[in-house]
Amino acid sequence: MAPEKDLKAILGKLKYSDDAKVVQQITEQTKQVHARMAGIKYKIAVMSGKGGVGKSMTTVNLALAFARQGGRVGLLDVDLNGPCVPRMLGLHGQSLTMTSAGAIPPVGPLGLKVASMDFFLGDASPVRWKGPMDVSPVWLGLMEMNVIREFLADVIWGELDYLLADLPPGAAADKPPVIAGFIPDLAGAIVVTTPSEVASDVVQKSVTYARDMGIKVLGIVENMSEYRCPSCGEVNELFEGNTEAMCEALDLPLLGRVPFDRKLARTFDKGQPLLDEAYPTIQRYQEIAGRIRTLLDYKKVLADKL
Amino acid sequence: MKFVCLNCETYMNFEKVEKPGEGALGVFFGCPSCNAKFSMVTNPGETQMVSSLGVKLGGRTVAAEPFEMTRGTLKDEALAGAGQMGAYLNEKIQGGQPVASAAAPTAAKPGEKASGGCPFSAMVAEMGLTTGGKPGQTASASSEFTWTADAKEKLDRLPAFVKPMVQSSVEAYARKNGFTSITLQVMDDSKNDSPNGMTWSREAEQRLENIPDFIRPMARKEIERVAKERGLATITAQVMDETKDKFMKFM
Repeated sequence: MAPEKDLKAILGKLKYSDDAKVVQQITEQTKQVHARMAGIKYKIAVMSGKGGVGKSMTTVNLALAFARQGGRVGLLDVDLNGPCVPRMLGLHGQSLTMTSAGAIPPVGPLGLKVASMDFFLGDASPVRWKGPMDVSPVWLGLMEMNVIREFLADVIWGELDYLLADLPPGAAADKPPVIAGFIPDLAGAIVVTTPSEVASDVVQKSVTYARDMGIKVLGIVENMSEYRCPSCGEVNELFEGNTEAMCEALDLPLLGRVPFDRKLARTFDKGQPLLDEAYPTIQRYQEIAGRIRTLLDYKKVLADKL
Repeated sequence: MKFVCLNCETYMNFEKVEKPGEGALGVFFGCPSCNAKFSMVTNPGETQMVSSLGVKLGGRTVAAEPFEMTRGTLKDEALAGAGQMGAYLNEKIQGGQPVASAAAPTAAKPGEKASGGCPFSAMVAEMGLTTGGKPGQTASASSEFTWTADAKEKLDRLPAFVKPMVQSSVEAYARKNGFTSITLQVMDDSKNDSPNGMTWSREAEQRLENIPDFIRPMARKEIERVAKERGLATITAQVMDETKDKFMKFM
């Protein structure tokens, strides 16, 4: 039998070469993401540990609010398995236009550029991948991360003031904070919650995990703060939580409260969003967008007011 | 991944890729010294992993199309490709036996706990955790501090999900400052305590009040960062001036 070789000693003498060109291609992919994102001034992730808190509704309305305030805005629907942004904006059925230079996104109300997995799917079709994904969530995770990488690298966003990324729900060792970490020079994350104690509990976890990953959390938006009866006009609370106390404990600003608004929700459900700036609930989004802009320009505020 | 020719003590060179069968890749390597040839064959799962990276082994001859991987991997039909890995394992490893049988829980050996089929349950039990991930033994509810009645009442008024975090923060502040009793004053003071161990002068605190409340936590962190860079432990009016000067550059 041949004598045992000391692999460590052998490797110590060798110089690694990337002859299969895998490292080179992955480096090029990363460069392409950075190149596409370079024309975007502020990249903001909208996330929540809990599902069903109205994250997409908040993202879409904040994007529209930024656009009303004169911003050039893009909206990336990163919820691959439950994309709903195109339907809310009346863009369902449209698709990305593929060119040799990249994919041109459809343009929605107020000039919003939108990219979503929905543009690849037929009516009622879930996302299904070819291959042996059925036996390994590890492969599925890798696959989805690379699809998101293609959304960042291949869409021609052009020059934008704001790109809002609507992340899927999830709290910790899950995708959202990891996805946010994918976006180069992320300005920060907006976290959406409801006043429900259950939602707040999970949201706290997602904030902690995002911070662990070095993501700056800009603040919290409380959605479904109250409900106005469309018949009698009486306003009632939907939940009995305390988002202010949570914000204080997390040392985060409460950016604003948005009521559950059946009329507004219905217009987005039908893909014919209400855009009237004077409408009270839309006013709330305008105020929140204004606070986010101040937060993003905090260095100027400090120079001015300190 | 690289292969080493142990006889020649050198890396083998990547040569080419072939598709020897459905869902498989044959990746060829050659030793530049002795000319030995070697081929690695991947199973469908490994092939998928390479594909999911969005790379071509050996490099690209033409630039990638937009959304090449997404469009190339989205399934057209519900069942196309399903069970490919299971079929592969069944054929290659299980000798035609249904793969599911390999995953069926085996009877616990003497001295082992029945794990309900979860491969990690024994590890979880060893770590003293329940399957929910919480400590298996209840932590002592008693605190090393004496809470005055009014402080305790204030703490109890907080929502249940916030209470542990606030209690922990106040007690950490009390521990750091050598307090054994927690009063309302200690609770209030702990809110202004900096996690960076910084002390704020009265004047600095007052100037911070000029900043809109929703931006104040961020401002506090930035000011403390400036102090830290200068090796200072106290935020004074001078630190505030220096911070203002620093941010004037962004105007």
